Amino acid sequence: MYPILVLSITGIITLFLGFLKSKKVLLPATLFFVTLAFFANLYDWNKPGLYFNNMLQVNNFTILLSAVILLSAFLIIALTKGFIDDEHAQPAEYFAILQFSLVGAIMMTGFQNLIMLFIGVEILSVSMYVLTGSDKRNLRGNEAALKYFLMGSFATGIMLFGIAMLYGANYSFNIDAARTVVTQMVSTQHSSVYLYVGVTFLLIGLLFKVSAAPFHFWTPDVYEGAPTIFTTFMSTIVKTAGFAAIYRILEVSFSPIYSFWWVMVIIMTVLSLIISNVTAVSQGSFKRMLAFSSVSHAGYMLMAVVGLSNKSDDSIVFYSLAYSLATISAFGVLMAVSKEKLVDGRPDESIAVLNGLSKRNPFLAFILAISMLSLAGIPLTAGFWGKFYVFSDAAFRGHIWLLVVAILMSAVGIYYYFKPIIAAYMRESEGEAISLTPFYKIILGITTFGSILLGLFPDLLRSLM
Amino acid sequence: MSIITLIPLFPLIGFLINGLGFRKIPTSLAGPIGVGASLLSFIGTVIAYTQLTETNQPILINVFDWITVGSLQINFSFQIDQLSIIMLFVITGVGTLIHMYSMGYMHDDEGYGKFMAFLNLFLFSMLLLVMGSNYIVMFIGWEGVGLCSYLLIGFWNKNTEYGNAARKAFIMNRIGDLGFLIGIFLIILNFGSVEYTEVFEKAKGLTVGDSTIIAITGFLFIGAMGKSAQIPLYTWLPDAMAGPTPVSALIHAATMVTSGIYMIIRSNILYTLAPETLEFVAWIGVATAVFAATIGIFQNDIKKVLAYSTVSQLGYMFMGLGVSAYTSGFFHVITHAFFKALLFLAAGSVIHAMSGEQDIRRMGGLWSKIKITAITFLIGTIAISGVFPLAGFFSKDEILAHVYEHNKLMWVLALIGSMMTAFYMFRLFFLTFTGSFRGTHEQEHHLHESPASMTIPLMVLAVFSFVGGFIGMPEVFHAPHLLADFLNPIYEGSKAVNPEFGAHPVEHSTEWMLMGISLGAALIAIFIAYTRFGGSKNVPVEDSEITGVQKVIYNKYYIDEVYWAIFVNPVKSLSNFFVNVFEPKGFDAIVRGVGNMVNSFSNLTRRLQAGGTGFYLFAMVIGITIILGINLGYQVLETIKAFVGIK
Repeated sequence: MYPILVLSITGIITLFLGFLKSKKVLLPATLFFVTLAFFANLYDWNKPGLYFNNMLQVNNFTILLSAVILLSAFLIIALTKGFIDDEHAQPAEYFAILQFSLVGAIMMTGFQNLIMLFIGVEILSVSMYVLTGSDKRNLRGNEAALKYFLMGSFATGIMLFGIAMLYGANYSFNIDAARTVVTQMVSTQHSSVYLYVGVTFLLIGLLFKVSAAPFHFWTPDVYEGAPTIFTTFMSTIVKTAGFAAIYRILEVSFSPIYSFWWVMVIIMTVLSLIISNVTAVSQGSFKRMLAFSSVSHAGYMLMAVVGLSNKSDDSIVFYSLAYSLATISAFGVLMAVSKEKLVDGRPDESIAVLNGLSKRNPFLAFILAISMLSLAGIPLTAGFWGKFYVFSDAAFRGHIWLLVVAILMSAVGIYYYFKPIIAAYMRESEGEAISLTPFYKIILGITTFGSILLGLFPDLLRSLM
Repeated sequence: MSIITLIPLFPLIGFLINGLGFRKIPTSLAGPIGVGASLLSFIGTVIAYTQLTETNQPILINVFDWITVGSLQINFSFQIDQLSIIMLFVITGVGTLIHMYSMGYMHDDEGYGKFMAFLNLFLFSMLLLVMGSNYIVMFIGWEGVGLCSYLLIGFWNKNTEYGNAARKAFIMNRIGDLGFLIGIFLIILNFGSVEYTEVFEKAKGLTVGDSTIIAITGFLFIGAMGKSAQIPLYTWLPDAMAGPTPVSALIHAATMVTSGIYMIIRSNILYTLAPETLEFVAWIGVATAVFAATIGIFQNDIKKVLAYSTVSQLGYMFMGLGVSAYTSGFFHVITHAFFKALLFLAAGSVIHAMSGEQDIRRMGGLWSKIKITAITFLIGTIAISGVFPLAGFFSKDEILAHVYEHNKLMWVLALIGSMMTAFYMFRLFFLTFTGSFRGTHEQEHHLHESPASMTIPLMVLAVFSFVGGFIGMPEVFHAPHLLADFLNPIYEGSKAVNPEFGAHPVEHSTEWMLMGISLGAALIAIFIAYTRFGGSKNVPVEDSEITGVQKVIYNKYYIDEVYWAIFVNPVKSLSNFFVNVFEPKGFDAIVRGVGNMVNSFSNLTRRLQAGGTGFYLFAMVIGITIILGINLGYQVLETIKAFVGIK
């Protein structure tokens, strides 16, 4: 609960800080605010409770998810360098919006009421629409923002419709109340079409936000058009928050009617895995490739949802963290390398720009390699254990053929995740050496160290839960 | 953090400092870092010992939870008990001396810092091996020492032959490791845990001769065969002498090669439950002891002789284990660590003095030139030959006594092997140190005693080789067997499953007789060696002139060649077949085909992503419709039916 209060206030403070002449104070200030929120979040550890008239729940699971979100946010914000390179940027506004969006994300981890869920989703989404189009002189960015907004509104509409139907079935927005109704319904064998329509539409709306197929079409275009730093934000924090919400609503309210929704979720899982992994193979742009990779990871995380075992919550936290760390590293490397070479006045974001990176900056090449290995799920990286846990969740319910698809698609994944590594280590170098600021190096070092540490000692995190 | 956790941490830190910065750290600093790390571990061991003796209960320390898979929980944890504390003393004590010795021996080598780093890494791995409280941590150490052994045998990697020796050691060990791994898997399968305490507790419920236990112990023993160089996996150890001499002393004589014995004693309850495996272990031990000893008689390389004697002595240790005399086997591990490390280090000092010469046919008359080395070498030689009252006598005699009770034929063979040991060790001594110098004039000119950093460890080890045996007095001397009393708690499990375990079977008169026989045999062997080689009367002939049976033995019974013909060549031709035929026409085609299929499929799906929002929305609507159809089609149908009135 505390991080919501903290970030709401500090977001406004950040806006006012924008009036200062010097923009340099903004980055340290924002980092401080996020750190503050992070510790405020931990303050509630082992003190579960309901807040704001039973609108929001806090327990250790929501605290861990919020911690993952805030940690990712800290790392991403640190990689912005305060936007001092770009004279057209409006750092105060960006940072304020980022903090507000975090409020939305944290609401999504602990909502106790569907209205709270809706508000959280909307705060997060609207922030993202704005940030996608933040580079106002970039046509592609504008297009992406508009596209995102149009499709996002469509999905929001569907979700709201679903919530309305659920209200019709349950006479309440409270998710515990929903569970009571659902349990009763199962025991009396009485079925309500309102409820089924509501669950379906609510899920569709949420699955759109985490870009699961076939509602993923916006992802590659929006990821590519948005400034890379905000793409990073979208692909990590939005995903974590989205899965937190999906898992929460299904676990708390609708686990008694598992037999109703598993078919739909499993179909979308399989579609996400196949379409994303296969399409990623033929992408020449690193950013687009990572966009498809993000869709595929949505598929893997859905496996934990499909499994809905007693370990699924652990798996989702672990997977989110592993995936976020690796993704932040990958985008961090992309940002550092792509600005070295311009194509039509824009940073070159193709895979080819990584050619010979091991000669130009061995450190970056190493970071890239570890992040790709983690995303591909190679042992000794966090990604391996993440995959292992979600696979075991799916196995818990006996979905063997889903596992077969997932493993085949992991193999396809290895193919394209190795492309950047090959480019970095085996292709001839073209450009000159790349220099990095020490701070940038430290942040990338932390993400990579985290990936390896969790790869060696997965129980470090699991033992918390 | 407990002091016990620090014991392996010091060498790890030392390794990291020297390993990461070996180009930057000056040589004057690299040595003290390496030795310091080892010494701190030793001090940690002393403190751990005082902690252990306070309660005499095993100390368990969970460093962190490592892996949880299903119901299997693997912790990274340590167990300090009577067995591991003695191993710790041997490893850190002898290890520190050898680190110190290396400062002198390796000082002018360009890879000095790297060498120190590897030694520290070895120490770290070896400490994990003995300190781990479960088979997995032991396995990490097990693999770690294998890796270090590889790195250090091939330390002078510019020489291809040394590189090959390193690879041979690695591969032979891998074969053993596979057995060890299978053993661990079987343990997990049958006991559901890898923690010693849990496994041994559950094992108490089993009956003697249980077939799963026989399989488990058998596979574990295969691991021991590889690591501790027993027939048929022993061939790597003599070749391992390619490494710098301190490595031979530390890894290939005193510590690593005894880890197989440690593992079996650690699992003593399992082995007590499997008498069939024990019998097998005993016979492998006898065969190795005798076989290696015969090869040792005809070798002319000072380190090769010591290498075969190591293989042979390891055979004695396994013999002891095989006849359920775990303590006696372990006793021999300890005394052997002292005198074999001493012999190797002294040999290194000789080689150092001889400007790198290792062939004893080129030595002779060194006694007066390098006195400290010569005297310490003599003490080591007497100790290994089993002459009263030096360390080797007590431990070997104890094993022989137990073997005599178990099987008379085995005892005769072991006694013959023991005679051969005394013979070839004194042959080595006489040829090296007596008579006149046979090397080149230049070598003679360079002859000099080694620096203090090398001779001090020699003297310390000589003292231990002298008195080390007193910790295990025979019963007839009416002195306490300190080692057996100390180790008593670790056999608690074995006693539970086999009530007869540990009862002292030998009559006093028999024991006197056995002691007399083995001492007499050793003295006879020494006398024969003296008459043949004393004063270097007979110098072995050059390689080209060796004939007959001697030639076969000198060439190690052509075992390497046999292995090459039976295993390596067929594998090579099979591999060639796969490379030339199967790979390009079979797998490659399939792999490429799959790749192409994915690629063309990918081109199709890529077209879906055309960029038009209209199409995206359309696709979404289609998707929603289908999902609704799946989810609600049935209900809708029912509703319509009800509406039209069809039942």
